[in-house]
Amino acid sequence: MKVIVDREKCQGHARCWALAPEIFHLDEEGYITPGDIDVPEGKEQIAGRAVRSCPERALQSVNG
Amino acid sequence: MATRQRVPDHVPPEKVSDFNLYSSPDMQPTPFGDPFAAISRLHEDGRPVFYSPETTRDGDGAWIVLKAEDQRNVLQNSDAFSSYRKIFSSAIGEDWPVIPLEIDPPEHRKYRSLLNPLLSPQRIAKMEPFVTAKAEELIEGLKARGTSAEVMTEFAFPLAVSVFLNFLGLSDDRLMEFVGWADELLHQGPEQRTAAAHKVLGFLDDLTEQRRREPTDDFISFLVAAEVEGRKLTDQEVRAIAVLLFVGGLDTVATAIGLDLYYLARNPDRQQELRDNPDLMPSAVEEMLRAFPSITPIRTATRDIELQGCPIRKGDLVSCPSMAANRDSAEFPDPDVIDFRREDNRHVAFSYGPHRCIGSHLARREVIIGLAEWFNRIPPFRIKEGTAPVTFGGFVFGVENLVLDWS
Repeated sequence: MKVIVDREKCQGHARCWALAPEIFHLDEEGYITPGDIDVPEGKEQIAGRAVRSCPERALQSVNG
Repeated sequence: MATRQRVPDHVPPEKVSDFNLYSSPDMQPTPFGDPFAAISRLHEDGRPVFYSPETTRDGDGAWIVLKAEDQRNVLQNSDAFSSYRKIFSSAIGEDWPVIPLEIDPPEHRKYRSLLNPLLSPQRIAKMEPFVTAKAEELIEGLKARGTSAEVMTEFAFPLAVSVFLNFLGLSDDRLMEFVGWADELLHQGPEQRTAAAHKVLGFLDDLTEQRRREPTDDFISFLVAAEVEGRKLTDQEVRAIAVLLFVGGLDTVATAIGLDLYYLARNPDRQQELRDNPDLMPSAVEEMLRAFPSITPIRTATRDIELQGCPIRKGDLVSCPSMAANRDSAEFPDPDVIDFRREDNRHVAFSYGPHRCIGSHLARREVIIGLAEWFNRIPPFRIKEGTAPVTFGGFVFGVENLVLDWS
């Protein structure tokens, strides 16, 4: 599973980071660091929840 | 007597509603009220966007946007919907933006980049011991005084404001005076608002002058020394940032704590759920932020644009009550059910878009710690018999006269 990050849309709510800090990393301003994310095996469920908890809909999950 | 046109000509009559965020029955001060349920019922009206005459505190009309997806489109699109409307300076007959809230992107970005690191989730973690100690001190203090307390003035405001003053580097000697200023600015009529605006500015200008002469490690000293784009901030920029952060931190966190305790006091089973599952607190607070948010972002259309069949004209105000989007069933299944374990809770208590509340991470931690300490130290509580908490709508929703009893 991969998470596609639309960094333009990230506004620093940091809900993804609150749920799964080991998957989603923030820069020093509190925005998500750029680049799509390869979700480690076994972390799909929490990553999916984090994607759905983004108020801005800046994250999207794709299987693959 | 009003010369202001009540409803502009371009607004179709079928889009005009009697509802108004200030004076509709459920928005007015109401003993044991539930203004959130009243807002939720607006979704049944079948008009996702409607025009509400006199729905701002200045008595202007505005388009009210109910659905989460539409609010997201408005608040993310600062090209079409500007946030500049002299929210503070109009009170003193001047014309300047508070920063960063009333600066539109891309210029807005440089100010956020300066301020974001101070309030990032990572940085907030360092403030937690202060929040915990303050909450403990306040709760132990009111426990020593008896088995009931008016929690807004004895707990919620003193906690939220002293944490914020600590962030700004100010002592809390004048705490209740500042709370009074916030009340006059946010909840009272035009004359009191003007007087309060002058008091806030006078206080911040004096403080800035002192910090210029003798810098400390506080927030104002940071601003005075700060640079954007290779230059120092101007005096006006320092003032416009200081005003926003000062006012923004005074009222909203206390309101959230108050609204949560108001709900919990009337729902003993939900108190028990939290006592049985203390780990549930962060998720419960998130859910109560969804169910009982207090703010309504307002934007000004920069061009003619249609939204849900409504002809918004350049210059029209567009109002996005967070409590409406947060009760949108298209975004949240069973939106009126308060579920402490709700997943995918992408609520809008802190707004959407580039102006997402810069204090949101501090606010969350304060509410979570404040309630957790309350539950650790206070047995099951209820509204004190013979008293009646009063809820209100308007610019910032809230509750007052919240006397809780745990005898």
